[in-house]
Formats: sequence, structure tokens, C-alpha cells
Amino acid sequence: MHLAHLSLTNFRLFHRLDVEIPPRFLLLTGANAQGKTSLLEAIYFLATFTSFQAQHDRQLINFLALREDLPVTRLLADFHQGGHSRRLEVRIILENNGNGGARLRKEILLDGVRRPAHDAVGQFAAVIFLPQMARVVEGAPEERRRYMNLAISQAFPGYARLLGEYQQVLTQRNALLKQIAESGRGRDQLDYWDELLADKGAQLMYARIKAVEELERIVTGIHLRLTRGKEELRLMYMPAYDPQAQRAGQYALPIHTTVVRRAMGQDEIRKGFIERLQALRNEEILRGVSTIGPHRDDLRFLANQVDLGDFGSRGQIRTLLLALKVAEAAWLKECKGEFPVVLLDEILAELDIQRRNDLLYALSECEQVLCTSTDPSMFSPDFVEQCTVWQVVGGQVSSL
Amino acid sequence: MAILPQPILNLINAFERLPGIGPKSASRLAFFLLRGQDDLANTLAQALLELKSATSYCAICYNITLSSQDVCDICASTQRDKSVICVVEEPLDVLAVERTGGFNGQYHVLHGVISPIEGIGPEDLKIKALIDRVEKGGISEIIIATNPSMEGDVTAQYLQKQLLKFGIRITRLARGLPVGGDMEYADQNTLLRALAGRQEL
Repeated sequence: MHLAHLSLTNFRLFHRLDVEIPPRFLLLTGANAQGKTSLLEAIYFLATFTSFQAQHDRQLINFLALREDLPVTRLLADFHQGGHSRRLEVRIILENNGNGGARLRKEILLDGVRRPAHDAVGQFAAVIFLPQMARVVEGAPEERRRYMNLAISQAFPGYARLLGEYQQVLTQRNALLKQIAESGRGRDQLDYWDELLADKGAQLMYARIKAVEELERIVTGIHLRLTRGKEELRLMYMPAYDPQAQRAGQYALPIHTTVVRRAMGQDEIRKGFIERLQALRNEEILRGVSTIGPHRDDLRFLANQVDLGDFGSRGQIRTLLLALKVAEAAWLKECKGEFPVVLLDEILAELDIQRRNDLLYALSECEQVLCTSTDPSMFSPDFVEQCTVWQVVGGQVSSL
Repeated sequence: MAILPQPILNLINAFERLPGIGPKSASRLAFFLLRGQDDLANTLAQALLELKSATSYCAICYNITLSSQDVCDICASTQRDKSVICVVEEPLDVLAVERTGGFNGQYHVLHGVISPIEGIGPEDLKIKALIDRVEKGGISEIIIATNPSMEGDVTAQYLQKQLLKFGIRITRLARGLPVGGDMEYADQNTLLRALAGRQEL
């Protein structure tokens, strides 16, 4: 899959941008705060309809446009998929609701037809690396869940929708738990919500188990090569409701023990989940929230059995993330039959020369790669030769 | 000082509170009535007054009926099968099923679905009344026709559990592809459900 044409209106600092994207490698250079990263962000937005950077879609709208009466941000992409040319358009519209407030509306059109976000996600696929993604490894579990969700929604059709449904059940169930805690009313309804939570939850967990396992299989090899065989990477999916948790009274197993999660079927997970919910019922009512389920899952990264989130050096974390991104691209290719567009922001900074070359070599397999750098001399001359180089200045793009 | 006389402003404000009507439509409607013939405004006013005063709930099925009668026409009819009850969320759903002409039983209107977020529990719905109806006997089947939403599903399951002890047939409306629809345009979820609920030919 590759992106052929991109047109942005009022996106971040781009007032108006209309460019043909070269099919292979593109290197974006320029000083700080000129729009290099925003360009990558825009392309990633077209794959996931959410930004990795901004807390709120409103921040994506050009701040000068925000002063207009009806600020509209528009992203339009023509991309090639399976030999066909397709068109994806996203409009973010800030509407006045008449009493001083504003409401944000997002419209997604795929080949000119309006589609809900959970349906259109993954049609155009992309993998992004940003330096601030170190927080995926070091930060709160929420960051890792978000990372998993964005990657899996692109790979497995139906995952994004399932996630929305799970959230809906969760909200209803939490409201009920609070109501029971406050008034004692409604205990008899909990069974039905438990069943829905376990049903949607088990499907989510099953998808995550499958995804993490497939991704791990790919990433371990890449990471081993990047570290010259020195570090063996493992991905540990840590579900909040663990169907394979050891029973009370047994000795706890150390974190790096291998658990074969695929051994469990979705139905088995669901049944165990319901049982666990029933065992926890009184505690959950007291606390007024759902305490187990995919909304509390975590993912850990271990190199030679050391948790990189706790003990990883900056360089190690960066290497891990880059290996993960290359693996993600290969994994999406496995799932969908085509490489996603790979977006890399300042990838070579903080890497030693050996890892730089290894990384560029690993990337050469991908179909289309867009990199940014303030200093193009960090890239090897061989690599630059393969690239189209563009200069980004103040939201305008020119080729060198 | 207001430019428009107070009676017109009152009407515009009242219209604006209706769903789907903004300030412009509200003023247009108000001025249409102002300029129109007297009898239009009178008919409308009369109809509005009667809307609340002359309607009430049917004592059996809780559908909306004339306040002059105790039970609705469907419940009073001798032509209809009294052993089958179709349970719906809202009075408008009765209308939808009636339009099909394919159902000759009776109805029961719940007036909502279970939704903890909105603080609606089973005791806020007409579920007790339904159980009383079944308890009196003579019912052989309950068709649950709540919407295929999460809340509709939970309500259906709740009803099923409450009605299980009576040993009657409990069914739920089938879900799947729309008639005259095209397979390729069906969304994934609908298609999945249609696949799960496929029938022997």
C-alpha cells in the first residue's frame, strides 16, 4: 500500500498543502517547528482517525482557522491498495451550538461514501514512530493499551467496533455498580451486564493474545539483529483478568516464565471471566467500578528477562521501539497482504552508527517510508541516494 | 425592549423547545400561524390541549389510548389472539409492528429499556405489569421485540429470566439482513449476526 497524493487544509500549521508523495522513500528535512512531524501526524490520522500527539481533535485545527466562524480541517489522501486507487477524506468541523459552546464533528468518507470511524479504520494502514513514544514503554499502562488498540484496530477488522461496544458495557456496568453501592437497588441486574462484559472482554483479550503473540514472533528476530544478538526481546501480555493465573496457595511464578496463552479458547476465557466477576462482586460493589477486564490490561517488554519499562536505558528503549515499528509493519503485511505506510520521526537520533545502518537495512523491505530529520547527514549516503528529499519550511514543502 | 410583541415571542420560544426545531424554523412557524387563517391556529391549539387531557395509558398493555376508554382498541378487540404478547419499548414500536399486518396478538409497552447510566432500572419500566398479565394465565407465547441494542438485549434477558418460571414460549425477534438489501453493503456486525442466526432451508 502506498500514499500517492495528500492534501491538507487547516491542519496544524498547514494552511493549505497539496502534494504528490513519491512511492518509495521520502526524507523530510528542515529546521524545528516547520511542520515535518505534523505531516507524519496527518498521515497517521488517516489510518486511525485519532492523533498520537494531540489530546483532543480540536488541537489539530490550524489555530488561525480556529478564529473563523466555521473552522474546518480537511485531510484528503489518494492511496494505492491492491492495485486500486482509493480515496480517503476526513473533515473535522467545529460547529457553534448557538450558546457560546462548540461541538466537534468528524466526518469520514471512503471513496466518497460516509463511513463510521470503526468501519473505516485500517482501510489505509500506517505505522508511526515518534521520539515521545518512549512513554509507551516507560509510561502508564494506559499508554500501552492505547498503543495495542491502535495497532490491532488496523490489523483485525471489527476490533475497533468491539472496543467501542466494550466501553459502552463498561460505562453501563460501572453506573450500575455505583447505584448498587449508593442505594442497594439493582443487584439482580448485574448478571446480565457481567455476561456482556465477559463476552466482549473475552473477544478483546483473545484478539490481544493473538496479536501480541504474532508480533512477538516477528519482533524478537529484528531486535536480535539490531542488538547484534546481545538482547533477546519478549513481549508479555498481562491481562487484568488473567485466565491462566496460578491458584491461590501456589508459589507465584516469576514474571519471565513463559505462558502459552494461545492454548485457551475464547469461550474458556469468557467462562472464567464470568466466574471471576462473580467472586469479586462484593468488592466491586464497594468500590463502585469494574476492577478487572481489558480496560486494565498491560503489556511489558523484557530484554534478556529485564523489564525495559523499569530498567531500560534510553538507547535500549529507542531500539526496542524501532524494532517494534519494523515488526508492526511486517505484521500488518502478514494480516492484510500489503505493507502499511511507515512514518518515522527523527529515528536515527540517539542510535550508534551500527544500529543506524542495521535499521536502515531493515526498513528497505517496506514499500513506502517517510522519515524526518533536522540533520540529513545522519543518514548513510547510500540511503539518501534512494530517497526523495524534501525541505519543509513554515508549512510549505519544496523538493531539494 | 423586545421588537416583537410578547405573544409571538412566547410561541417562538415554545416551538424552539421542540426536538429538531431551531430559532429560524420556530419563528417561521410562528409567523405562518399568525398570518394563516384563524381556524388553523384554533385547530392546532385544540389539538394540543387534547393531546394531554384526552389520552391515557391502556390499563392492560400500557399503550396510549383515549382517556374515555379503559383499554385500547387492540386489547378490547375480540378478533385478536389473546394468548400471544409482543413486548415493545415504545408506543411507536406498536405502530411499526401493526403496519406490517403480520401480527394478530396483543402488545405490552415497556416505556423504555434498562439503562443504569440514565438510572432506569426494571422497576421504572412496566415489567411488573407484564408479569401480572402472564400470571393470570391464558398466555402461550411472549415475543420480545426490544431494539437490537445493548440495552435492549439486557432488557430482553432480564424479561426472559423473570418469565422462565411460567413455562411459556419466549421468543426474540430475529436479527439479520434487511429485506431488499445488498450483502456487500451490510455492516460487519449485522452480517455476523445474520450468519450466527442462519436458518435451515
